[in-house]
Amino acid sequence: MSEIYIICVEDEPQVLDVIVKDLEAMEEVFPIEVASSVAEARKLIKEIHQQGGRIGLALCDHIMPGEYGVDLLIEMQNNPFTRNTRKVLITGQAGLEDTIMAVNKARLNHYIAKPWNPEELLEIVRLELTQYVIATEKELLRYMSVLDPVRLQEEIRSRGYI
Amino acid sequence: MATFRRNFVSNADIVNTINSMLPDSTWLRGLLRKYHSGEVILREGQENDSLFVILEGQVSMEKEGDNLSTRIDLQEPGDFFGLLSFHTGKPVFTTSRAHSDVTLLAINHQSFEEINNQYPNISHTLQGMVFSNLAHRYKRVVMLHVEVDNLSRELEKEKDQLKHTIKVLEKTRNMLISQEKMAVLGELTAGLAHEMNNPASALLRSVDFLVKNLPEMFDKSARIQEKSLMRFFFESGQQREFVSSEGQREKTRNLAEKYPDLGRPEVRLMSEMHPDAFDALVPYASNSRKRELFELYLEAFQTGVFTNSITLSASRIENLVKSLRSFSRHNKGEREKMDIRKGIGETLMILGSRLKNIEVELNLPEIPPVNCYPGEINQVWTNIIINACDAMEEKGRLIVSCRYDGSGSVWVDIADTGPGIPAKFRKKIFSPSFTTKAAGGEFGLGLGLSISKSIVEKHQGIITVSDRPGGGAVFTVRLPVGN
Repeated sequence: MSEIYIICVEDEPQVLDVIVKDLEAMEEVFPIEVASSVAEARKLIKEIHQQGGRIGLALCDHIMPGEYGVDLLIEMQNNPFTRNTRKVLITGQAGLEDTIMAVNKARLNHYIAKPWNPEELLEIVRLELTQYVIATEKELLRYMSVLDPVRLQEEIRSRGYI
Repeated sequence: MATFRRNFVSNADIVNTINSMLPDSTWLRGLLRKYHSGEVILREGQENDSLFVILEGQVSMEKEGDNLSTRIDLQEPGDFFGLLSFHTGKPVFTTSRAHSDVTLLAINHQSFEEINNQYPNISHTLQGMVFSNLAHRYKRVVMLHVEVDNLSRELEKEKDQLKHTIKVLEKTRNMLISQEKMAVLGELTAGLAHEMNNPASALLRSVDFLVKNLPEMFDKSARIQEKSLMRFFFESGQQREFVSSEGQREKTRNLAEKYPDLGRPEVRLMSEMHPDAFDALVPYASNSRKRELFELYLEAFQTGVFTNSITLSASRIENLVKSLRSFSRHNKGEREKMDIRKGIGETLMILGSRLKNIEVELNLPEIPPVNCYPGEINQVWTNIIINACDAMEEKGRLIVSCRYDGSGSVWVDIADTGPGIPAKFRKKIFSPSFTTKAAGGEFGLGLGLSISKSIVEKHQGIITVSDRPGGGAVFTVRLPVGN
């Protein structure tokens, strides 16, 4: 069974540090990898692909040197490998137009404004990853401790088997 | 014997008298001169020994000025000119130019003698003529004097009006500058809020981590005897440099393989350490009995990392607030001496993320401080730089340079590598309401550059735009260092 990764794309190291720290609890089951730019993120996605992993969630900043986060998310939507990756924009500087593009062209799943509430962040990440595993995993029990147990239970029941 | 007679002679008398005598006197006819319209008969400053009587046509008397000549008078048939130079031998005082085709009688000294002797009629008439003419000229002087007086009074009134109008314009200009400042401030504040999101996030979360973890760390530290490396790992954490790359990921992977008992967060932290800290930690990593101490040291390291984040973020917020302050500073109506490089730096700082994808090149050598309104000068830089960023669509190079010209002025060039400004717009670009941006909510409502021009001119400076060799535009601002 391949690993499901969380990737965080953010150019400011101080912000990246605290995002990763806030999501530490997830690393029991979902390893976290980081990238400081869109270009770096592309390499990372390729590496994960080559190693046989999958990307369950991408947490992306928008304004970064080089290319912008929304553009990466759109790319990911168009790439079959990352099409069902849950996509979350975490930013303070995406204008309305860019956000609309992210929703329409990248099928953005969630928008988090900086600064974020750590409990909310964790909650959203849990929610998104729960959706991901429901969509892609046969075996859901192992995720009960780390994701949304209620939702998982519902899903298990509706599938009719464990 | 000559008798004194009251002698009013009309111009008609003169002309008629002379004309009646012309047919009978060849000599007299010899004194006739004809000139075409526009010809100069006597030029101011030349030598002259003749008295000229106008028989036909008009002669204009002109005084040469700086650039143009002033018409003093228009002489008619029966008038004469050249009297002063004829009589005193001094150079001609007033230029005489034929206003139409003219016929003149030119009487030099010899002829005058001759006339006195041979034609006493004319002599007498001439005398009368001279006095009449001089009287007329005197009257003119008096009239002109009165006219000048009136004009002076009118002028005073207009001057006062003008002074008042200038005051109103000054006020309006300052009001527009003020309004635009508010617009700039508004846009900057919005941008600032965004700028602050990142450092604020880092700050808040880092502080939260410390608040949650420090007490426990202190407790743990108290329990464990051997903790001499706490400070070492803390300081190492403060100096950690973040790297995200394939190499880094490989390093982390290798460590994970080497220490299968450690969780990902632990391995990640270890891989971020400098070699000396890493080496110091390794003995504890593989020793299961030293596990608690190992965790403590890692925590100390991470505490160092977050403490450093707090320092960096707080400092960034401070700079942002400081640079905003310089914009919102109220002008107390007095100028200050300011190193304008400081203002340029503050502007660049406050524009933060707009410049993220732009390579900023600064050539800012020492220049003398400029006597100015700092807030307004900063408005100018903000304006130009924002325009440059927009022109480049937030990707390209921004080159800011300054110099002192050694003769009282500081020059600042702000160049971009955008599409440049088409020649047809170059003059219009500084006029109010010129904009190539879509209407509605766009920065400055098109007033930006015109206000900048206004501000620069208020400082007795000049602002121009030109092509950048290699592509793009260069805005040049020249500011006198000031009184």
